[in-house]
Amino acid sequence: MCGINGIVAYHPASEAPDENELVATREAMRARGPDGSGAWWSLDRRCGLGHRRLSIIDLSARASQPMTSEDGRHVVVFNGEIYNYPRLRAELENDGARFRTASDTEVLLHLYARYGTEMVHRLRGMFAFAIWDEELRGLFLARDPYGIKPLYTANDGWTFRFASQVKALLAGGHISRDLEPAGVVGFHLFGSVPEPFTLYREVRSLPAGHSQWVDPAGPREPKPFANLAEVLARGVADRVPAAEIPDRVRSGVLDSVRAHLLADVEVGIFLSAGVDSGALLGCVRDAGLSEIRAITLAFEEFRDTAEDEAPLAARVCEHYGANHIVRCLREQEFIDDLPAILDAMDQPSIDGVNVWFVAKAAKEAGLKVAISGLGGDELLAGYPSFVDVPRWRRRFGLLANVPGLAFLARNFIRAVAPNVCRTHPKALGVLEHSGSWAGAYLLRRGLFLPHELPEVMDAEIAREGLRRLKPLQRLAASLTPDPDSDIARVCVLESAHYMRNQLLRDADWAGMAHSLEIRVPLVDFTMLKVLAPAIPSLTPGSGKAALAKAPAVPLPGAILTRAKTGFGVPTGAWMNAAVCEGSVPEGRVLEAKGVISRRWSRAVLNGALATKTPVEAHAA
Amino acid sequence: MRRFPAMLALVTDAFGGRGGIAQYNRDFLAALAKTEAVSSITVLPRHAPDLSAPPLAVVQLPARRGWIVYSIAALRTALFRRVDLVFCGHLFMAPLALLIAWLKGAKLIIQTHGIEAWRCPSRWQRAALEAADLVLCVSRHTRAAVLSWAAVMPERVIVVPNTVREVFSPADGSKLRAVLGLEGKRVLLTVGRMDSRECYKGQDRVIAAIPDLVERGHDVHYLVVGEGTDRSRLEALARDAGVSERVSFLGPLGLQSLAEIYSIADLFVMPSTGEGFGVAFLEAMASGTRAVGLDFAGAKDALADGHLGTAVSEKELCPAIARLLDESKPDPITLATAVRVRFGSKTLAASARAVMNRMMEAT
Repeated sequence: MCGINGIVAYHPASEAPDENELVATREAMRARGPDGSGAWWSLDRRCGLGHRRLSIIDLSARASQPMTSEDGRHVVVFNGEIYNYPRLRAELENDGARFRTASDTEVLLHLYARYGTEMVHRLRGMFAFAIWDEELRGLFLARDPYGIKPLYTANDGWTFRFASQVKALLAGGHISRDLEPAGVVGFHLFGSVPEPFTLYREVRSLPAGHSQWVDPAGPREPKPFANLAEVLARGVADRVPAAEIPDRVRSGVLDSVRAHLLADVEVGIFLSAGVDSGALLGCVRDAGLSEIRAITLAFEEFRDTAEDEAPLAARVCEHYGANHIVRCLREQEFIDDLPAILDAMDQPSIDGVNVWFVAKAAKEAGLKVAISGLGGDELLAGYPSFVDVPRWRRRFGLLANVPGLAFLARNFIRAVAPNVCRTHPKALGVLEHSGSWAGAYLLRRGLFLPHELPEVMDAEIAREGLRRLKPLQRLAASLTPDPDSDIARVCVLESAHYMRNQLLRDADWAGMAHSLEIRVPLVDFTMLKVLAPAIPSLTPGSGKAALAKAPAVPLPGAILTRAKTGFGVPTGAWMNAAVCEGSVPEGRVLEAKGVISRRWSRAVLNGALATKTPVEAHAA
Repeated sequence: MRRFPAMLALVTDAFGGRGGIAQYNRDFLAALAKTEAVSSITVLPRHAPDLSAPPLAVVQLPARRGWIVYSIAALRTALFRRVDLVFCGHLFMAPLALLIAWLKGAKLIIQTHGIEAWRCPSRWQRAALEAADLVLCVSRHTRAAVLSWAAVMPERVIVVPNTVREVFSPADGSKLRAVLGLEGKRVLLTVGRMDSRECYKGQDRVIAAIPDLVERGHDVHYLVVGEGTDRSRLEALARDAGVSERVSFLGPLGLQSLAEIYSIADLFVMPSTGEGFGVAFLEAMASGTRAVGLDFAGAKDALADGHLGTAVSEKELCPAIARLLDESKPDPITLATAVRVRFGSKTLAASARAVMNRMMEAT
């Protein structure tokens, strides 16, 4: 886990990049890599690469980056982990490659030298990297299939820039801050900024599972090399009966956990009282790790109530013999940390606060790496959306396709039940959006719906943003090829949108703010290929039940039972109080969670737009 | 065997045309022809007032002035010829170009220049641009403007800047100075259209600066080259400012005279607010004359963000001119060489190759 950046002056008319810019961008990512830094320049100084290091594999100085191949032709900067690098290394050594380090970074150099851009198909892990090819005068960039690691690019027509963070690119001082309407609208629709857009027009995210080539002819369009829908569609074609689900889940998850334990530093785990993290802890034990520390976030408000996860988490720890660290959080700490949270948020997001605090706790415990159960709900149909989206399609799909009916219904509800509009604003969009998978998913996950945007933001920006974002087409495109299974479709939609643009981004900025690498064994493309044939056979609860039984010693039954009722966290109320300046009026109509999220989103967006880069802050 | 594409170029003007866009089209189409990555280029212009022979592999059809006549000619040309690639030289023609590309199953390249692309165009023009396989912009500013209103992949929008012709090179201008009675004067020069509908080239800003420059001790004389309906306003401005005797309007000049006039100037000044690129900056600097402009729009590209010429805000213009007149003139050969490294024929050839490579990759 690191921060990477680079500048390529690809156009013959452009000036060679400024060293100060490379350093300014790199140093804006100091928290991503506190263990060291490096820079490299091509001989003609038309390409510069920067790196901030968080040492996790091969802690020696020889594994520092940017790393150059022995013949000097290739130079790499890399953020992430390649979990199958020991096997890749052995294969490469068999073919005559000579290694100078024990790092996974060097594997990338040899793989590129041997397989070129096709190398990406051999990688298992979370990664964002750039390799400069001195002979071809080109830069090759790639990002992992799920988009666990971020990679942002900017191209002004003469010069190409990239970095692990949007704010770091801005800190370089050469990128326009003109807003991207699609990014602003995307944030209002989803609560996070959907890739490839960012809040700024000139900055784009390299989409997950894509690579890009940049040479003197300029940056090419990103090319896909991995597609979640395709894997699920193939899985549906090779569907296995429900009876095989537990075995598939057991073997797939255990293999993934084993891979994710690869490190030269201690690996800890975030532990809630839910199934995902508990099962992962069990699998960690099965993978042979005898000493493991588990971090649980507890809330003072919930002490000695049924909402308190700490006692159940403690029971899981006892069950698997892990060392339990309970970090108690109070509202005052949230208030104190809020400015830092908003500052660390690379792109606005309505979530991530919990991750901030659990990462903070892990850092306080001296951990550099922690495993998270993120992704379990998307993979194993744990969200209500797996029930709601297909149900809405069935119930309202036909009506939704009657021309004009949705419009009439919306206005009718507005007229006869204005309170419903306020407390459940999305009810107005049910008929409008249930006609397609994309629409039903937007209805389920949307923060605001498209018809509401002119009321909450500049109408012209809303119109132009919707035109550029094309939210429904974008959602529908992620379902190509069609997995042809309700569960698989929702699995793709949740993984390729909510998880990718929100949960994984939150895990990145919140983890990195504390120099903590968060590993997600349930977000693993190799494992997905194993589980894909089982996913269409999942029923509500069966996936989580299989996961609970994945460890050799299954999770205690109480965990599965309790998890079904869910837990609350008070952070939503704290956010609401913070936005309402500390007070929520008594007697107020009980507000839906979505309404609070909407209010919080305004505060987050305003904070993001007001944030200055370190350079600007210094100038001010 | 690989079949190279046949191109139909729909342009306002190119060979035999006047002005910056015609020059750009000529240079770019000639460079494309030289790449040998196109089998033929058929050019259909709307205007061609002068006689001019296109290079080998380029055929220019007779100009068709009226819009309807032009559209019919374009469709007829496309119908009876092989067309694999349509080059649209102006956003105004983009819908027609898209229609032809669609009818022929051809790829589409749209060229954008300056102010025509800085604001969102008509719905049809925007739709045509968004459907293009490649959009060429003359500068980074025009590219950023296009991306502000077009929902198009940024990688499809590339910058192909103007080039500077070989005729513009450092020369001894002392004889011409003597002929024009400018010996001992500090000569400022602007080359540009004087269009009363646009008024953006900035000659008025230079005229306004003259009294201040004289007060600072510079015996300046300002040469204004070009034609247009705004000339009488500028002459009146000079009279009102009491500097008529220090301003000479030379009218339009032929290529050779233009090359000579660049060499006699101490400073080329064009504080324009509407340059798509500003090829006159390149011509001046390739002639060894320093150039100053505003740090706005395409001028920033021509001045290479201040690395070749001087790019300043409007407020800093007069002090910047005074400072540059105070400084000794840099070596003209060094300046001309630096300009050619960035914007010479090799750069345009590389851009043309890049465009064709991109089109090949897309097929």
